[in-house]
Amino acid sequence: MSMKSAQSSYRDRTQEFLNVAERLKKSFSSAAPNAASSSVAKPDGTRSSLAIQKEFKDRASRIGYGIHQTSQKLAKLAKLAKRTSVFDDPTMEIQELTAVVKQDITALNAAVVDLQLLCNSQNESGNISSDTTSHSTTVVDDLKNRLMSATKEFKDVLTMRTENLKVHENRRQLFSSNASKESTNPFVRQRPLAAKSTATVSSSPPPWANESSSSSPLFPRKQGNVESQPLLQQQQQQQLVPLQDSYMQSRAEALQNVESTIHELSNIFTQLATMVSQQGELAIRIDENMEDTLANVEGAQGQLVRYLNSISSNRWLMIKIFFVLIVFLMIFLFFVA
Amino acid sequence: MKITALLVMKWQGDSIDPVILANACDVSQFGYFQRSGAKEFIVFVGRTVAKRTPPAQRQSVQHQEYKVHSYNRNGLCALGFMDDNYPVRSAFSLLNKVLEEYQKNFGDSWRNAQADVTQPWPYLNEALTKFQDPAEADKLLKIQRDLDETKIILHMTIDSVLARGEKLDSLVEKSSDLSMASQISHTQMIYIQKKIINCL
Repeated sequence: MSMKSAQSSYRDRTQEFLNVAERLKKSFSSAAPNAASSSVAKPDGTRSSLAIQKEFKDRASRIGYGIHQTSQKLAKLAKLAKRTSVFDDPTMEIQELTAVVKQDITALNAAVVDLQLLCNSQNESGNISSDTTSHSTTVVDDLKNRLMSATKEFKDVLTMRTENLKVHENRRQLFSSNASKESTNPFVRQRPLAAKSTATVSSSPPPWANESSSSSPLFPRKQGNVESQPLLQQQQQQQLVPLQDSYMQSRAEALQNVESTIHELSNIFTQLATMVSQQGELAIRIDENMEDTLANVEGAQGQLVRYLNSISSNRWLMIKIFFVLIVFLMIFLFFVA
Repeated sequence: MKITALLVMKWQGDSIDPVILANACDVSQFGYFQRSGAKEFIVFVGRTVAKRTPPAQRQSVQHQEYKVHSYNRNGLCALGFMDDNYPVRSAFSLLNKVLEEYQKNFGDSWRNAQADVTQPWPYLNEALTKFQDPAEADKLLKIQRDLDETKIILHMTIDSVLARGEKLDSLVEKSSDLSMASQISHTQMIYIQKKIINCL
């Protein structure tokens, strides 16, 4: 609406302006070129107010689009920063994204500042209606606000990422502190290496060399290696003390061996006991089965005995047999005799 | 693993040579003519080593194919000539024992000795023969050895127990089969019996 009115006002203005320009041309000859230039400039300015507005709108739309894209990227960044785990850390992606987002935001900032300058100059220069001025100022303010919110989001994402990193570092320290406790032996081993390396590095001054030569036998002594001692100028006492140590150490070692053997033996004994108890259970089962079998077989035997009895002492059968025999005899006698 | 000689000497860190208090040598491995030479050699080397061992110190010196272990305990020094296979720790425990015995037997009289004592000390001779096996001298070794043997025996026991378990398994199966079969035959007989009774 305001556009149309601006266009209509622009159109109106040109005619008037041209008339004014002609009058000025006629009247002021000396200031004619200036007026001409200014008049030329003014119609250009008024003519280009549309262009300016177009430009303004273009820029505003571009800025708005840029802000939208930046906010999308910020959303992606926020997701990435949230899901960082200890192991697959997309640090590279996150860093790239942050760099890109920073660039975008700075560019957008500059663009918004330009836009604001343009808007101000436009408001000052052209005879445009207040609607357009207010429209442009509101547009510029809106863009500024959106950019500010985008930067705020960016800051929040960055703080979240730093917090996550801190948490990861704490977790890593938890694990690595244990590892550092376990790796004290390598540390002890590394210290002579480090000392030796430092000794070799600073080799020129003699006191260093002396120190290194005296420290190097110390470390093998600490490691309890008496037989393979580097025998630089070793006094006998230095050799005796490690011998005492190694004697004691070997005794301690032997005692520990004995202790561990006894432990193993106790383990073996307990295993033996469990196995034997399990097998005792098996024996009980066998015993039950045998008793069952015995009962069954006794029942079967009883049945058989009864059967035998029933067969052996069967009076009915004997009577029947006698009857049958007698009948036969009778028949035989009757028929023959 | 052989002990060639055991010596007890007195040396107090002063400049005089150590004084031999007891000596037991086993030089049977050398030929007859070398034996006296070997004894001299042992005495000389023993004196040298004892001289170099400061009080309250243990020391092992390698000399040709022998290791000389010396243990000096406030003036009384015990030396042992052993070959390389003899474990060092047992050697020192043996020397410890020898010193204790000596102290028990002779008390402090050795402090006054000025010249080499030539009387043999029977305990030392016995010790020389007894402790050819390092396990005798060192209780730790003995215990370790016993424990190892026990472990072996226990392993064998566990193996036999496992075999017993298998046999018991087979027995269980057989007995269960038997009981089932007997049950079946029992029920069958009852059935037949009833039939016969019904018949008759």
